Amino acid sequence: MSTMNRFTLLRRTMARKPTRSVLLITSIAIAFFIYLVLTSFEHGFLGGQVDSERLIVTNKVGDALPLPISYYDKILALPDIAVATYMARSRATYRTPTNFLGLTAVEPLSFATFIGDQYDIPTDALARFGEVRNGAIVGRSIASQEGWALGQTITLNTSNFVKTDGSSDFEFTIVGILDGRQSADTHFVMARYDYINTERGTDRDTVTGFGILPKRNVRTDDVIDSVDTLFANSAYETRTRTEAEFMKAFIAQFADIATIVRLVVGVAFITILMIVANTMFFAIRERTKEIGVLKVLGFSRLFVLGNVLAETFALFAAGLGLALGLALAAIPFLREPLRTVVPDLTLTPAIIVEATALAALLALVTGVAPAFNAMRVPPNAALRER
Amino acid sequence: MDNSTSAPDDGIVIDNVRKNYRIGKNAVTIFSDLTMTIDAGDFVAIVGPSGSGKSTLLNLIGGIDRPDGGDINFGHARISRMSESALTKWRGTNVGFVFQFYNLMPMLTAEQNIELPLLLTSLTARQRRERVETILSLVGLADRRKHLPSELSGGQQQRVGIARALASDPKLLLCDEPTGDLDRSSAEEVLAMLRILNAELGKTIIMVTHDDMAARSAKRVLRLNKGQFVEREAA
Repeated sequence: MSTMNRFTLLRRTMARKPTRSVLLITSIAIAFFIYLVLTSFEHGFLGGQVDSERLIVTNKVGDALPLPISYYDKILALPDIAVATYMARSRATYRTPTNFLGLTAVEPLSFATFIGDQYDIPTDALARFGEVRNGAIVGRSIASQEGWALGQTITLNTSNFVKTDGSSDFEFTIVGILDGRQSADTHFVMARYDYINTERGTDRDTVTGFGILPKRNVRTDDVIDSVDTLFANSAYETRTRTEAEFMKAFIAQFADIATIVRLVVGVAFITILMIVANTMFFAIRERTKEIGVLKVLGFSRLFVLGNVLAETFALFAAGLGLALGLALAAIPFLREPLRTVVPDLTLTPAIIVEATALAALLALVTGVAPAFNAMRVPPNAALRER
Repeated sequence: MDNSTSAPDDGIVIDNVRKNYRIGKNAVTIFSDLTMTIDAGDFVAIVGPSGSGKSTLLNLIGGIDRPDGGDINFGHARISRMSESALTKWRGTNVGFVFQFYNLMPMLTAEQNIELPLLLTSLTARQRRERVETILSLVGLADRRKHLPSELSGGQQQRVGIARALASDPKLLLCDEPTGDLDRSSAEEVLAMLRILNAELGKTIIMVTHDDMAARSAKRVLRLNKGQFVEREAA
C-alpha cells in the first residue's frame, strides 16, 4: 500500500486536468524560451568582454564621422595617457555582398597593446604584421568560417574605404590569426592603417576613433574631460567614452536591442500572466468545494494558501525547466548563423538565475489572488458551492 | 430533552445560541435562544422541515460556522470563542464529518481519501498505512482501496466518506443527510455502520436527516421546529 504526503495532493491536482496543465506549462515555457534566447542575444550583442577602463574617442557629431589623425600626437602628449592608438573601422564583405565582417585598420603595435588583455596575438604574427604592408591578422571565428590559412591572400570589399580609382576592394595577405580570451568577438580582420590610408582616395589621414588606456590611479572622468576639452571648439570636436558606453551607443545605431528585448519579453510575460492568472482563478473556483472539505478536515488556511501557491510555482517551475531545456538545445544551433551579429550567444548562469527569479515572481503574482481567495473562503460557504 | 448547561466530558453543550442569516437586505433568524446538551456517546438524529436550521446547527457544532450569540462547548473547549486557526485544529482532532454527497477528493483513491486527514497528525507513514488498513477493513472496502471515487458506487463512496471521518479517531461524528443520496440497501448498510460506531467504538454521533428510517437508527430523535427542539424518543 502506498502512502501519500502533502505533495501527493498537489501532484494529483495538477494531473487531474492534464491537458490544461500541459497547455499552461507550454505557454509558460514559450514565454521563458523567448526570454532566455533574447536575453542571451542581448547579452551577446552587447559583448561580454567590453572594458570600462578602455576609452574610445570618436567624433562628437557621430561615431562614423572622421577625426584627423593629427589628433593622435596631441592625445599622446596628454599627461594621464598610458597607451593611445588609432583605428579606422569599416564594414566589409567577403566574396558575397551579404557575407559581412568587421575590418579595422590599425597601427599594429599600439593597437596590440590596447587590446592585449582581450586577445592573444602571437608575437611572430605581430612581427610579420609590421613587415607586410598589406598584411592582415584575422580573428579565429572568421578564419574558421571561411577556411582561411596563414599566407593566403584575400580580397575584401569595404564600405568606408574607397580607393583613388573608385574601387572598394582591398587585397590582404593573412599573416596571423588571433584568438579571443573568454568570449571576445573574433569575427573581424585587422589591417594596417598605413596601407589603407595610402590606397584610399577619400578621408585620407582620418580615423574613426582613438583608443586610450589611462595611466593607473587616474580617474577615467578626468582623462575624458582632458581629451574632450583639448578638442573643444575645433572643427572636429571629440566625444570620449568608456568602451562599454561606446558599444552600447554603437549597437543603438542599428536598433535599441535592449528595448526590443524588453518589449517582446514584456508582451510575452503579460500574456502568460493573464492566461495563468485567469486559469488559476477558474481552477480554484472549480475546486471551492474541495477547499471547503480540506478546511473541514482540519487543514489550515495557510495550508490552503500554500497549496494553491505551490501549484502556480510548480507550473512555473515546469515551464521554466522546459524552456531551459529548449534554450540549451537551441542556442548552439543559433550561435554559428548569428555569429556575425551576436559574437557571444551564450546562456550564462546569470541569465538562468534572472529567469528563475522572474519565474518565482510571476508565480507569486499569478498565484497570490486565487490563493488568497481560497484561503479566505469560509468552509460552510465553500461546501455550498456546486 | 436535557436543557441543562452542565458540560459533561466530551459532551456538547449549546447555551443560548443565536444565529441569523442575511438574505439580501433581510435578516432571517434561525435560532434565537437555543439551548441543549448532547452527552458523550449519544447518537442523536435531528429532523425537521427544510430550512429549519438542521444543517446550520450541525455546522455550528462542528465549528465550520459561528453563532451570533451564546456559547457552544465541547467538553471543556468553548468552540464558539476559538480563533479560526484553533478551531481548524480542533476540528481536525475532534470531529469527523460525513456529507450527503460524500465530498471525496475526486483525484485521490479511496485509501488516499482516508489517509488525507492523517497528514495533519504526527503519525509516521507506516502508522498511517496501518490505520488506513484497519479502517478500510472496518468499512469493508479493502478490495476497493485503489479505486477513485468515480469508480465506486454511491454506497461505497459514502463508506469511504465515513472511513475518512473516522481516520483521525474523532470523538464526534457529524453526519449531514448521510443516506440522502443512497438507495435503500446502501442506506441500511451505512446506518448499520453508524450504529456500530456508536455502540462499539463509543462515538458521539449527530445526524441530520429527512429519512424516518435513518432517524430510527439513532438513540433519540430531536425535532427542530422554529428554532427550538421538540424531542421524541427513537422507535
